[in-house]
Amino acid sequence: MTAPVMAPPAPGGVALPRGGRPRRRTTLSRRRTRLGVLMVLPAAVLLGLFFLWPLAQTIRMSFYDWPMLGEHTWVGLANYTSALGDEDFLAAVGFTLRYTLIATPLLFVVALVLALLVRGGSRAARGFQTIFFIPVVIGMAAASYLWMYLFQPDLGPASALGERAGLLDASENLFATFTSALVIVLAMVTWKVVGLQMLLLSSGLQSIPVEVNEAARIDGAGRWQAFRHITLPLLRPTLALVLVFSVAGSLLAFDQFFIMTSGGPNNSTITAVYQTYRTSFIQFELGAGAAMSVLLMVALAAVSALQMLLLRNTDNA
Amino acid sequence: MRRAWRTAALVAVVGLATSACATLGLGGRGGDENTVTLWVRDYQKSIMGTLAAEFNATHETQVEVTLVPATSFVQKLGTAVAAYQGPDIASLDLVFAPYFASQGVLADVTDEVEALPYADDLSPAHVSQVTYEDRIYGVPFTGDVSVMFYNKTLFAEAGLDPEAPPTTWAEVQAAAEAVAGSGEDRSGFVFSGACGGCNIFSLTPLVWASGGDVLNADGTEALLDSEEVGGALGLYRDMYQAGTMPELVRTDNGPNAATAFQSGTVGIRFDGTSFMSTLVSDGAVDFGVAPIPGQDGGSASFAGGDVLSVMTGAANPEGAWEFLEWATDRDAQQVLADNAILPIRMDLLDEIYVPRDPRFQVFADALGVGYTPYSVVENELFNDNNGVWAGLIQDAVFGQGDIADAQRAAQEDAQAILDKATD
Repeated sequence: MTAPVMAPPAPGGVALPRGGRPRRRTTLSRRRTRLGVLMVLPAAVLLGLFFLWPLAQTIRMSFYDWPMLGEHTWVGLANYTSALGDEDFLAAVGFTLRYTLIATPLLFVVALVLALLVRGGSRAARGFQTIFFIPVVIGMAAASYLWMYLFQPDLGPASALGERAGLLDASENLFATFTSALVIVLAMVTWKVVGLQMLLLSSGLQSIPVEVNEAARIDGAGRWQAFRHITLPLLRPTLALVLVFSVAGSLLAFDQFFIMTSGGPNNSTITAVYQTYRTSFIQFELGAGAAMSVLLMVALAAVSALQMLLLRNTDNA
Repeated sequence: MRRAWRTAALVAVVGLATSACATLGLGGRGGDENTVTLWVRDYQKSIMGTLAAEFNATHETQVEVTLVPATSFVQKLGTAVAAYQGPDIASLDLVFAPYFASQGVLADVTDEVEALPYADDLSPAHVSQVTYEDRIYGVPFTGDVSVMFYNKTLFAEAGLDPEAPPTTWAEVQAAAEAVAGSGEDRSGFVFSGACGGCNIFSLTPLVWASGGDVLNADGTEALLDSEEVGGALGLYRDMYQAGTMPELVRTDNGPNAATAFQSGTVGIRFDGTSFMSTLVSDGAVDFGVAPIPGQDGGSASFAGGDVLSVMTGAANPEGAWEFLEWATDRDAQQVLADNAILPIRMDLLDEIYVPRDPRFQVFADALGVGYTPYSVVENELFNDNNGVWAGLIQDAVFGQGDIADAQRAAQEDAQAILDKATD
């Protein structure tokens, strides 16, 4: 795969003395185009093979009654109408939206605070930046198991520590009520992913020219005013990126709830992807599961598009 | 991004399965004709390795074992079969045999099984699970029955006779309360309250031993609103409310309840044959084994374990049957017994298994009277940790409301699932 991609760059220079100016440009641009196509090709093939084609298949499956084993039959939009009328699925969607509405601002604020704290590039700041970032490289599943163990009643070290600090009762089961279970999951997710958002925001902050802030100071702007009227508007492209990432991640939440709460207590923490998983791989109804995936994908695309649009428009205004 | 990838992977799996359906017949299996492939859940690695080595050394046909993660075995086998990429033989958890048989992916071996000289000595519970519409689709392979484990040391310290385990529900509750009351960090009883599969294995024997059931015999009607189911759930609720259980029971979906008993702080736990091996190798708890009792005496057990089935797409069905026949015969069953796994040959138990440990008699007896609920929708009905059965346990044992109300709601949902599966 690498050989043809690596070869072409050399001849461009050789053509220089012979050809006239316009001719050289066409050859060069044509070669550049060809090179570009070649370089993009591996990614395009992967994208087609592992994303576009399965996506097309998923969409096709969603119009069938498609059990894991046995015959599949065309049912038109029946999977969609039953998904939209399915209480379990709607409850899962409702929970996912609530989770997203809590997780997104939480992650954003914490990430922004951390990014502002580690600004400056001193040795200590870089050290803390590394510390905050480390959990990002741990897998979500591993992190989920870790935190689940930490807060197990009677067994978990965090529970024991909480009791010593007088905050908790170590034998109390924190996964047994909706609020406490959600708080633990949110804490885990924050710990796990906030480092990446912090890093993105840091790079956004760094790209803001120092002169602008200096000018504002000279004009008598306070810290808050400078932040509100200089930093935030100039940070907008980064904000768009961070928020789209964050919302997409939260809407697709699965591992943390599957592992830490098993959807409990009383099925109150089942997310949309979790419900899709149950439909496909516990009830073995792949067609219905595919319809849910498609609905989720459409919703996600719509939300992301809306976010982009909103953030872009305010930027122009 | 990570989660986006997960979804992409999920989509890809589904997509790949589909594509393989489209390219029907092209997915031929490799390997020479003397080889048969076998899929087994990963935790049976060592025993399956031993058996395969033994078989391969004495047969021209060679068996090739593939380990599949236990938690996704059914899903992986299902998608592989749908994609014509399945094995020749599958070692299935017996409760899933009706589903796979009903979907036509297991080969009919009725004539072969009936021709076995020991056909009538195979574990009856296993045989009933591989029977679908009067035809037989596999053979029993390994046994795993649920029994009561109790901590003798804690029983003695609580003033109970360690040689007289409880034989009625009232005695179970009294013993649990006595143990829980005998020390600060002691618990009387532990179970996995958020695990559907665990409780069909360990809780339903209480129901059966009292004359009730969770499903009718052919798996078409749910009986979750029966008096016996309510009674068993009531026993658990009473024990929970009396403070005999550690708080983790409420949300444990498998691993932690067993760990709690292993740590030596819990009086009673219902579990299976393999838990005994764990406790023996730990060597930390002095435990006894007894049958799971009914309300006023009697006993019952969940007869679990594996069955071996030839898949309909098998490239070498004769070779596959050769392995099935060998696996149910004396040599292979002896290997199981030597590894403390419960054999499924009722005629050999007293000879090859029971003499190894006095406690094994309890397992052997339990297999003879073992029940297994028969359903083509077992996974959705009982094994789903967010399903009807797990939900019923949550509501009835840990909820505030009336147990009968929880039973009525669960009965309605369970019947709807069964009706949908049979229409």
